[in-house]
Amino acid sequence: MTLVSKRYEVADILAAQEFCHSRNWTDGLPVVPPTPEAVEACLDWALLPAEHLVGVEPVRERAVTAEKLAVNAVMAGCLPMYFPVVVAAFTAMLEEPFLMHGATASTGGCAVLTIINGPVRNELGMDGTFNALAASDRATTCIGRAIRLVLCNLLDARPGDVDRSTLGHPGKFSYCLAEDEEHMPWPSLAEDRGIPSGTSALTVMAAGAPRQVMNEWTTHPEEILDTFVAEMKANMRHYSIWPGNYAIVLPPQLRAHFAKAGWSRRDIAQYVFDHARIYRREWIDVGKAAVVGRHGDQQYAAIPDPEHLLIIAAGGPAGGFGAVIPPWLGQKSKAVTVAIGACVDCAPPDA
Amino acid sequence: MPIEMLDPTHEADAARFTLASRLPALAGKTVGVISNGKRNTSPFFDAFEHALVETHGVTDVVRRTKSNYSAPADANLVEEARTWDALIAGIGD
Repeated sequence: MTLVSKRYEVADILAAQEFCHSRNWTDGLPVVPPTPEAVEACLDWALLPAEHLVGVEPVRERAVTAEKLAVNAVMAGCLPMYFPVVVAAFTAMLEEPFLMHGATASTGGCAVLTIINGPVRNELGMDGTFNALAASDRATTCIGRAIRLVLCNLLDARPGDVDRSTLGHPGKFSYCLAEDEEHMPWPSLAEDRGIPSGTSALTVMAAGAPRQVMNEWTTHPEEILDTFVAEMKANMRHYSIWPGNYAIVLPPQLRAHFAKAGWSRRDIAQYVFDHARIYRREWIDVGKAAVVGRHGDQQYAAIPDPEHLLIIAAGGPAGGFGAVIPPWLGQKSKAVTVAIGACVDCAPPDA
Repeated sequence: MPIEMLDPTHEADAARFTLASRLPALAGKTVGVISNGKRNTSPFFDAFEHALVETHGVTDVVRRTKSNYSAPADANLVEEARTWDALIAGIGD
């Protein structure tokens, strides 16, 4: 295998850290030195040649090759078996509806939320239960970090460079979770978005920080969802009124109430669509009267239709804690779901 | 023990981008100004247009706005820009 990346020799592991930090190649945390052997192991696992073109970032016309993804994946701590997920993430992010440049450059400061579904979760030891949104396991942590390092190193989305985020949020370190498919009453998120059952897949979303909510004081689905809806409406008042993909994270304790009541994903999404709405005049109450204008009586829905709500089953077994994850900005970026490890361009042998 | 490691950046890709050649003078030229569409570009570009015409003698200032401030300029805009002598893109946050 021929690797084209420039090679450097450093004295030892500590020198490697300082070498990478001095070149602004890190997120501030230590990295694994991307040796040729480690990079080749990633490419071998994914059965990808180094020069394989995953895609081209359209604004700066920058090639995203398998080799460069692998270099950054190794630095982020990925094992070779994680690498196909990193490739799939960039396959999804390079789809035009995701609008990767805008999402990674915006002052709005979103991060790339990645939700994993299918058998790959168990193969890689992912855990969508305890602490699901924050370093619950090695695989999701490293994969999420790899996405960020690629954005920084390959696409220059470093703070103050292409990344113009005013604040950003901690999800920029790593924002990846596996859905808790073993303990959910519905088909998985990926299946809901058209991926066949039993196929590993991921969904990427340009996402704000998770806004945690809690309601342990009811068993009624409507009242549980009213808590989530209230948080979505707060986001519409305080951040952005524009409809887009919202994600809600439902823990087992709350999912049990929906299951007992016979509520499906569709039922939940429809309820949220019907109720997560505000009038523009509500901006007067939160200091935004200047932009209400003549549109005060115009009503806005948080999601343009029920399909735009990503319902994620995740979280530890105890506690009525959920989360609302708002979109970066309306529909400028759309969530994208792709299968992992599937070559959509590969023709069957006799085609 | 020495460690050999690979460069994680785009390397050669970066050299592909160079600054556009400069016009010797703006007088008598057509200058396009593309706004990203945010409202604060309007007053700024109004003043900018005035300065281009009154101070630098620009003949014509063509004002255009992208349809999506977070996405690349629309294809028809890029095509139209080829007819201008100079182009300035600006954002307004």
